[in-house]
Amino acid sequence: MPRRRSWRRCGGRGSGPAERRASGNGSRCDTLGTPPGILPLDRMATPNPLILKLQQSGILLDEDHPILAGLCDSPRTVPADTILIRQDEKPSGVHLILGGFACRSKLLPGGEWQILSLLLPGDFCDIHSAALGRSDHFTTTLTDCAVVRLSHEAVDELTLTDTRIARALWWSRLVDERILRAWLTSMGQRRADEWMAHFCCELLLRLQVVGCAEADACEMPLTQDQLGHLLGITDVHVSRMLRELRVRDLLQIKNRRLTVPDVERLRAFCGFDPDYLHLMAGSPAAGARVA
Amino acid sequence: MPRYFFDTNDGDMLDEDDVGLEFADPEAARRGAIAALPDMARDRLPDGDRRDYSVRVRDEAGTVLYSASLALTGEWHVRR
Repeated sequence: MPRRRSWRRCGGRGSGPAERRASGNGSRCDTLGTPPGILPLDRMATPNPLILKLQQSGILLDEDHPILAGLCDSPRTVPADTILIRQDEKPSGVHLILGGFACRSKLLPGGEWQILSLLLPGDFCDIHSAALGRSDHFTTTLTDCAVVRLSHEAVDELTLTDTRIARALWWSRLVDERILRAWLTSMGQRRADEWMAHFCCELLLRLQVVGCAEADACEMPLTQDQLGHLLGITDVHVSRMLRELRVRDLLQIKNRRLTVPDVERLRAFCGFDPDYLHLMAGSPAAGARVA
Repeated sequence: MPRYFFDTNDGDMLDEDDVGLEFADPEAARRGAIAALPDMARDRLPDGDRRDYSVRVRDEAGTVLYSASLALTGEWHVRR
């Protein structure tokens, strides 16, 4: 019988990964409708977020697109705060996010938890999970999400029959690792305001790449508590940092939306260099990269 | 959950909370307030030998429920 976990954190608010429908703060979708800020599934742009993302690898050819589009045929809507993959259990499949936000997180025995990565449209959650047996972390939806579930066998077949797609998926895992290294460095060494700014620069760019953001604004549905669990600072400090950054006209988060008045100025403030995201030259607002 | 407001001062800037945060009860809000102090101290170290960091918790009615502070003090013990 699995031990009942307590999701408390400083403050006793259980807003960690939990098998419950979203509630509180009045800011979530009340119905299983369109994941916030993302195109409705029947109007999803072609190419879809998965193709837009993997194209950045510079590896795909046009003929790979229909195969990837075929993977995305039957997404289902998963409510916010649903556990897709449970820590310490063997995942039964691979999940692909096509809409909404999900995250990987790790839970300590005392109830403390840390968001380890943000999974955005076009991201696979643990595509190579079969190789390591039991998961060492949770994968949870933060908002209502459009999710495609693939069996491990389907993923194996895909990677064995199309080596370009296999390499593009491998590229995407390497970029995930780069993002993790950038986060680790920021968490350990940046001041909280610069770390928050850096995270916002990264989020805006990653969403732009997959067609889910404007030049200076994007959805940012994380609560202050969730932001605190991502940045590794308390929510009171998150609140203060957000106010400071707003007063300095660097960014604003309001009604689940991030707005950046001057992207270059925000990047300069926190020393954001998009190079670690390994995007193609000519990508939206990315640095140039020679393919 | 009730909303609480956290006014913080890192020794340079007083920041009044106009948004607030939800906590289960005043005890939880108190824990949140105290936890913020080391975060503030980490970001803003004193130029000299002294800086005081403080936080004040108000409820939705504006009543001050709790306050806490962290004093960073240093001194040399040899002649410089």
